[in-house]
Amino acid sequence: MYLPLSSNKHSFCDLALGISSSSSQKTALGEKYTHSMGMGRQRLIIVGSFFCIFFLLIALRLIEVMGLSPNMEGKLKLDDSMKILSCKRNDIVDRNGILLATNLKTESLFAVPHQIKNPEGIAQKIVEVLPHLKFEEVLKKLRSDKKFIWIARNLSPHDQARIHRLGVPGLNFHKEEKRVYPHGALLSHVLGFTDVDNQGIGGIEHQFNEALVQSEGSLQLSIDLRIQHILHDEISKGIENFQAKGGTGIVLDVKTGEVLAMVSFPDFDPNFPKKMPPENLFNRSTLGVYEMGSAFKLLTVAMALENKTATLQSQYDASQPLKVARFRIKDFKPKNRVLSVIEMVQYSSNIACAKMALEIGVKRQKMFLEKLGLLRAPKIEVPEVGKPMMPQDWRDINLITISYGYGVSVSPIALAGALSSLINGGILREPTLSKVDPTIERGVRVVSAETSRTMQKLLRLVLTHGTAKKGNVPGLMVGGKTSTAEVLLANGKGYNREQNLSTFVGAFPMTDPQFLVMIMIDRPIATKETYGYSTGGWTSAPIAGNVMGRMAPLLGVKPINEQDPKIQAAFYLPGGHNEEKTPSQKTEGFRNAGY
Amino acid sequence: MFLRELENYKIFKAGALLKNLRWSIILLIFIISGIGFMMLYSAANGHMMPWALPQMMRFLVGVILMIGIASINLRFWRHVAYLFYGCSFLLLIAVEIIGNIGMGAQRWINLGFFNIQPSELMKIALILVLARYFSALKPEEIQNPKFLILPLLMILMPAMLVAKQPDLGTALLLIMIGAGILFSAGVKVRYFIALGITSLCCLPLVWCFLKSYQKSRILIFLNPEKDPLKSGYHILQSKIALGSGGLFGKGFQEGTQSHLNFLPEKQTDFIFTMFSEEFGFFGATSLLGLYFLLMALSLRVGLESRDRFGKFVVLGVLITVFVYVFINTSMVMGLVPVVGVPLPFVSYGGTALLTLLMSFGFLLGVDLQKYRKSSS
Repeated sequence: MYLPLSSNKHSFCDLALGISSSSSQKTALGEKYTHSMGMGRQRLIIVGSFFCIFFLLIALRLIEVMGLSPNMEGKLKLDDSMKILSCKRNDIVDRNGILLATNLKTESLFAVPHQIKNPEGIAQKIVEVLPHLKFEEVLKKLRSDKKFIWIARNLSPHDQARIHRLGVPGLNFHKEEKRVYPHGALLSHVLGFTDVDNQGIGGIEHQFNEALVQSEGSLQLSIDLRIQHILHDEISKGIENFQAKGGTGIVLDVKTGEVLAMVSFPDFDPNFPKKMPPENLFNRSTLGVYEMGSAFKLLTVAMALENKTATLQSQYDASQPLKVARFRIKDFKPKNRVLSVIEMVQYSSNIACAKMALEIGVKRQKMFLEKLGLLRAPKIEVPEVGKPMMPQDWRDINLITISYGYGVSVSPIALAGALSSLINGGILREPTLSKVDPTIERGVRVVSAETSRTMQKLLRLVLTHGTAKKGNVPGLMVGGKTSTAEVLLANGKGYNREQNLSTFVGAFPMTDPQFLVMIMIDRPIATKETYGYSTGGWTSAPIAGNVMGRMAPLLGVKPINEQDPKIQAAFYLPGGHNEEKTPSQKTEGFRNAGY
Repeated sequence: MFLRELENYKIFKAGALLKNLRWSIILLIFIISGIGFMMLYSAANGHMMPWALPQMMRFLVGVILMIGIASINLRFWRHVAYLFYGCSFLLLIAVEIIGNIGMGAQRWINLGFFNIQPSELMKIALILVLARYFSALKPEEIQNPKFLILPLLMILMPAMLVAKQPDLGTALLLIMIGAGILFSAGVKVRYFIALGITSLCCLPLVWCFLKSYQKSRILIFLNPEKDPLKSGYHILQSKIALGSGGLFGKGFQEGTQSHLNFLPEKQTDFIFTMFSEEFGFFGATSLLGLYFLLMALSLRVGLESRDRFGKFVVLGVLITVFVYVFINTSMVMGLVPVVGVPLPFVSYGGTALLTLLMSFGFLLGVDLQKYRKSSS
């Protein structure tokens, strides 16, 4: 019935699981089952040997890992765990070598409770030396049944000496290092902070964690502590003045992309990060993404000039609101006439901007924004970088709203980088926190030198004859644009007309732009001095003006005679100077002029 | 309906049950679990809370469950194997859906006094269903590839669902249980070789689907010293603790690495490390010896059984225990990448303990079956 060969083949199934209880046939099948029992046992032996081999393997590995093998190299010792925790960490310094973060060697006091003979007396003595400890707590620790317990971390040598002088057996010290930030909250979001084990938790400390531990020498940042102080000082004053929810400020060297200063409010003291509410840790400059409002019009103009869909003299009819699908695009301060591109920027006309964008088209707009790095997370050296938010489906209506700064949310640092490239001759240099060697060329060309030159003129015009006058600093040839975006309602359905994100972007000197200053104030409340306005022109622009006025002398920027006919001629834009506006003309609807 | 059927299957009287239970296996389980309680007590620096006491309570519940399962006629379990598997599978899908709706990772079902993960139930269900399937197949049918389609589906479908949770450890365990039973059932070796080669070819593809933390675990496994402070920390600290144990260990509750919290997860996945630190090489090998003994005794139950279904069940339980012990101990010693697999009966955690005790309930039931036959 069964050939021997086939019976071999067919009998695996029974493995040693063996004799089938249901089998009652004893004849031919019996032969088969005896055979199959052999085959099955074979399988079972294989499974069993597997088990044995693995157990043996584990035992061998145990011998090796437990250090019992005689010639094991690099045997790990108990002390290694301590070493791992207290490894050195390099200093962080600013561009001029000023210390921003360093380590202090400290001594931490621990007790071995069962060696302490008289807990009450010793606890009393400890509290006398270290008055910040509570007697009951120390006593409880000394009486605990643990083998080891921390009494006080990070003591000064002075305190250590005094504890030593007590001469109590069972009290010992362990060397530790504590990360110290001498400037406190000044650089909170830039530096980040470290945890108890000296591991970087945010900011530069996290990004360069490995380098700070492994390499030699201190880490030099692009930050200029003096500028950082000025920016921090002016923004904090501004926020207080306008009772704002928060704010950010960025100072960029547009020629290298170096971040000279970067602040985000509310901030925190990295020496005591846990004492702060978590929202203070949020870095608005790099992690927050916002709809930036009409600063985007500058991008749209550059786009049109680059793609040659318009010149400065091109005319757009802004007399009627623009209907697109079910939306009506209106101007907040309608001129009700045909506007040139220059006038469009000057009066911040949404209608004209939208019409210009329609000529550019979705594809070219997307490409241009991509080129400027606005459609990806910024590459700045902190882990807290925000990815931009953009429409999934980029239609004409998105094209239009994006052209004047709605519908795409970007981080302030990304926008600062993009705007720098428009005025620095046309090269995009990613904003960086590392000090850059100026002799090394970096960056990619994004617009022509000619377009960049035009943008310089336009920015200067908007500052002198537009909404950003308060950002002017005489003698610095400042150029700038305000931008007032309405804050999204909490439910995400529409905008809150009363709450603004007031932005000012300025750069100087426009004859050869060197520095860019960006100030953003979140939901400022208008004051008497601002005649009830909370727009960028009234809140952010003056702050930026103060910052520029204070930083220029420090950085050796020479004053320029702005009335010099040569400069006047160089910055002349035909048809751009025909309407003067002064702050007193509030009846004209200044409130929305920021748009 | 099933309760009525249950009545038909003879349940042991208390006296006969106590007389015939395989006490050697139960004693071993008690000893190993006792070591577990001791280590949990030590892990809490000499306190019953928060780990030792709850673990003991769960152990008691589990032991009662185990003996209960053992006392029920094995034919009943054989009868409901498909139903049990089906229910477990549905629960697995249900949890997946609920988890998605709730936006969180709800992988368990609340039974009031404890939670049970369907993936744990699936381990038992898979053993039962494969045992039922293969015990019903004729020998020559096993050689026919078309009869392998169903068991492969029964293994892979839940494994994929579990892997998606994502719980790679349990998914691997399901596949290993399945593969072990297939191998023992007598599936041709060449199929396994073919499967091995295909899965090797699929490795790069799998790599792409792994979550970044899983990738880093594998990379760190290959070179833990590369990143001693983050991902490599667990394994490095574990090795340091093991190395500091020496021949005889530092003594109960004297393990510095674990008690000063250098050793992470000391009450769950890394409990073997803590045990070895406190009891040294001899302690560690003794514990391994206990497991070995437990498995040897279990294997004997399988060999003595006259019931094909029972033999497969024993084999499935054996493979489960073996895989747990092997993966956990080799993980803490850096032989395999870090996967969250507990040490059977020792690691803190209710579900795994309960599943194991239930599995041994089936194993003891297989053993009792021979007395049933003789008495009827």
